[in-house]
Amino acid sequence: MNPLTSALWERRPQHSLRIVDAHAHAGPYSLFFIPEAGPAAMVRVMDRCGVSHAVLSSHLAIQLDAAAGNAATAAVVEHAPDRFTGYLTVNPWQDPVGELEKWGDDPRFGGVKLHPDLHLYPLTGRRYAPVWEFAQRTGCPVLTHTYEGSAYNDLPMVEETAIRHPEAVILAGHAGATPLGFDAAIEVAQRRPGVVLEVCGSYNTGADLARMVREVRPGQVVFGSDFPFIDLRMSLGRVLFSDLSDDARAAVLGGTMTDLLQWRDSAQQARSSQVVAP
Amino acid sequence: MTRRGPVLIDADAMLGRHPARDVGAGGVAEALASMDRFGISEALVGHTLSWLHDPHTGNRALLELVAGQPRLLPCWVMLPDTCAETGTSAEFVSAALAGGVRAVRAYPVDHGYDLAGVDATPVLEAIARAGLPLLLDAAQTTWPQVEAVAVAHPHLTVVVGGLGYRVLRQVAGVLARTDNVHLGLANLSSHCGLEWLVERFGEQRLVFGTGAPTRDPAEAVTRLLWSELDDGAVSAIGGGNLRSLLRKKARAA
Repeated sequence: MNPLTSALWERRPQHSLRIVDAHAHAGPYSLFFIPEAGPAAMVRVMDRCGVSHAVLSSHLAIQLDAAAGNAATAAVVEHAPDRFTGYLTVNPWQDPVGELEKWGDDPRFGGVKLHPDLHLYPLTGRRYAPVWEFAQRTGCPVLTHTYEGSAYNDLPMVEETAIRHPEAVILAGHAGATPLGFDAAIEVAQRRPGVVLEVCGSYNTGADLARMVREVRPGQVVFGSDFPFIDLRMSLGRVLFSDLSDDARAAVLGGTMTDLLQWRDSAQQARSSQVVAP
Repeated sequence: MTRRGPVLIDADAMLGRHPARDVGAGGVAEALASMDRFGISEALVGHTLSWLHDPHTGNRALLELVAGQPRLLPCWVMLPDTCAETGTSAEFVSAALAGGVRAVRAYPVDHGYDLAGVDATPVLEAIARAGLPLLLDAAQTTWPQVEAVAVAHPHLTVVVGGLGYRVLRQVAGVLARTDNVHLGLANLSSHCGLEWLVERFGEQRLVFGTGAPTRDPAEAVTRLLWSELDDGAVSAIGGGNLRSLLRKKARAA
């Protein structure tokens, strides 16, 4: 029994690890009812389990309106700036350059979110070029939805994107989403060190997760929940009980994502060193 | 396994192999080891042979597998008796009770019949008279069908599992209009959905279940224990409610 499952059995929040949820949202969604979809309940659930931080994009941003939705994401981060970081949603049909210019320097945002399946636009399409230019220039991680067999964000398209942009950090959301997708995602991550597998979804298991960690290099698998689309405790439980070493579990649950979110500090340090250089 | 926590009884588990998932050999030893890993004391188990091949053969094989295994409670799979594959409805239920079967599961989509139609009525009536709970996966039915069956058989306990995160609008109406429909925890994954359902309909409408081995039991265990429910509600959902539903069978017998 690890300290996390001990806390679970005792029905108290865990405090042994910093847990960062790399894939979260906020707000209502038209296709189904979400009880308490706002940030207050999200923080309550995080506190109940002992989750320190979540990186999120509003449902409004991914589902309908990137401009209004990115403002909604920023407002959620404002609600609890120590608990949330935003993903800047880029919809290829809704002024990608303008959104990146508007929010790219805003510290409330720590990543970019792409949802090719919802926006019916391929991950490899030209309209995403500003995103990859931004990601390569800054080190900002990009979370994309993936789904095995999709015409818009299947794993070969993730690999093609990683080949074109080897300096970019690409979080493969849902890691392919299906058992077949997990196999493909592992193979892509083995070949492309910039690809990080994010593990939320309806079909993942602890055994799948442990296999991902075994078969890719350390630092290429991160915990995400997709809450409040899906309850955070579903995905978190799989990681808690999975057959991982303590170090690997700590990296998956928060260590790796904490490092990936430091890119603004790194960029700032780089700028400072350039200023003082003779 | 030594740990503190509520008694957990899994209402939604399966023995046997799976043709499209890596779930191992699906034997008794694997099932018990998994239950130990997740602190689950007992489980209602069906057999994939009853689901994905032949209910009559699978039901019989299940009884042989769980004989002498007090932690594994057998759950048979029903069919309408139109083709007499499992005998008449009376024969099916009589054999089930004689074999110590504790609940019955239906797969109307995969087995090609209408659960709310006239063909299934005799076996559902017999199951209700015997006090055996009827278990269903949400993907095997529709909510109007669930409601129709629950209304037509008011003494039948219906437990629907595998809800996912998209069905609360439909579930809420059915729960409000019936009192014999219950929900299983396997993949009950709406954000704060468990708490919302308990607050609105009471903890007695929910039973713990994992969906093992195709689903990871870690999901349901973590969802329940880190819920915002009080310890009493967690204990009821973890095992107390299912025990009460299974005692109905004993009373009816």
